[in-house]
Amino acid sequence: MGSTAMTEHGQTLTESGNLRERLEASEKTQRAMMNILDDFDEERRNFQLIQKATLNLLEDVDAERQNSNEAQRALLNMLEDIEAERFKAEQANALLESANKELEAFSYSVSHDLRAPLRAISGFSQAVMEDYAPRLDDEGRRYLGLIQENAHRMGRLIDDLLAFSRLGRQQMIKSTIDMETMTKSVFEELAAQEPGRKIKIKFTAHASPPVYGDSSMIRQVLVNLLSNAIKFTRPRENAQIEFGYLPKLGDGAYYIKDNGVGFDMRYLNKLFGVFQRLHSVAEFEGTGVGLALVNRIIARHGGRVWAEGIVDQGATFYFTLPGSR
Amino acid sequence: MSDQAEFEIIIVEDDPNDAELITRILRKHNLANKLVLLKDGADALDFLFGQGNFADKYDDGPKVILLDLKLPKVNGIEVLRKIKSDERTKKIPVVILTSSREDCDLKDAYDLGVNSYVTKPIKFDEFAKVVADLGMYWLLLNKSLTK
Repeated sequence: MGSTAMTEHGQTLTESGNLRERLEASEKTQRAMMNILDDFDEERRNFQLIQKATLNLLEDVDAERQNSNEAQRALLNMLEDIEAERFKAEQANALLESANKELEAFSYSVSHDLRAPLRAISGFSQAVMEDYAPRLDDEGRRYLGLIQENAHRMGRLIDDLLAFSRLGRQQMIKSTIDMETMTKSVFEELAAQEPGRKIKIKFTAHASPPVYGDSSMIRQVLVNLLSNAIKFTRPRENAQIEFGYLPKLGDGAYYIKDNGVGFDMRYLNKLFGVFQRLHSVAEFEGTGVGLALVNRIIARHGGRVWAEGIVDQGATFYFTLPGSR
Repeated sequence: MSDQAEFEIIIVEDDPNDAELITRILRKHNLANKLVLLKDGADALDFLFGQGNFADKYDDGPKVILLDLKLPKVNGIEVLRKIKSDERTKKIPVVILTSSREDCDLKDAYDLGVNSYVTKPIKFDEFAKVVADLGMYWLLLNKSLTK
């Protein structure tokens, strides 16, 4: 019994001992767990701190991003403005270009359509001359001559107008041009057509710088200015023409001077207009396109042309051209 | 194909003044005996292909066709295209005689196989010389397949 009791006791003891042990163990475990939990809590707190810091950081980054976004937006707005400006400029340019093209096409087709009736006038008046001249009296033949003469004049006008219209469309092929050499060759060519006259050209001492431009257009400028000089010195026994360069006049300017009939400075504004003339056809022939052409060529090269004149003493035409400095 | 008069030169020109002047110049050089004058592109095609108004006037083909470009109804380029794309007519020499100096007209004409392209000079004496030269070259000098 005792033994049983013992045993039982022992057992019980053992049992209770086990229980205590287990309790303790459990407590230990619990404590450890609590500790772990505590630690964990700390960790969590740390974690929360880190999270908060991260959030702060993120917030800062966000703020930064917002700033950068705003900057970007401002930049984009600016770009848009620039784009809009450019678009406007392009539109204006396109409009100008199309207006220009339209004008060119118009003057070209006008010049073209003027040709046909003119050809008919010359053609049929010549037919009358060929087939019926013997049946006309002197006055009749004179009238017919006048018709032909005027048809020719009209033809020259159309030619000049065509040249003027073509000038706007023509592509410029630029090269370096020695102005003195070109002037000399143009002058010799033109003077050769006036064998009965005494015409001298003088080149001033200043070396003239070369021009960078379209050589056929610049040549046209020289042809028109020099043939004017030759034409308007016709009443002079000794025609004097001078070509030179004035480095100190503005950015440097070329000039062609003559001792011809000159012009009244009051009509200066008419000098470079198309079909504007300061002399009657009976005095000096011409269509009134020459100086307009000069003006247009110089302007297309980014230069300027102007003139000075004194009645009965002569005229001077000045012009600037790129590369002339 | 018939006992019709043979035509050596066909002129397609809508401007009656130019047409009369061309005829006169050719006549003065004895080149206008076998000349036919047509006033628009539709007539030109009808004549060449023996259709419409010209159904009974079919001809083997002239030595040359002088063709204006600005024509009523069917323009010159279209007439040229039809001539050069048809077996019956593509060997006939075609000379464009026009006031147009536009590059696109020139290019179109040569793309279609034009035999010559001449612009009408503005001055009558030069015009007269061009027409006479053309007549002499194509009617007397040039050897064509058609006749």
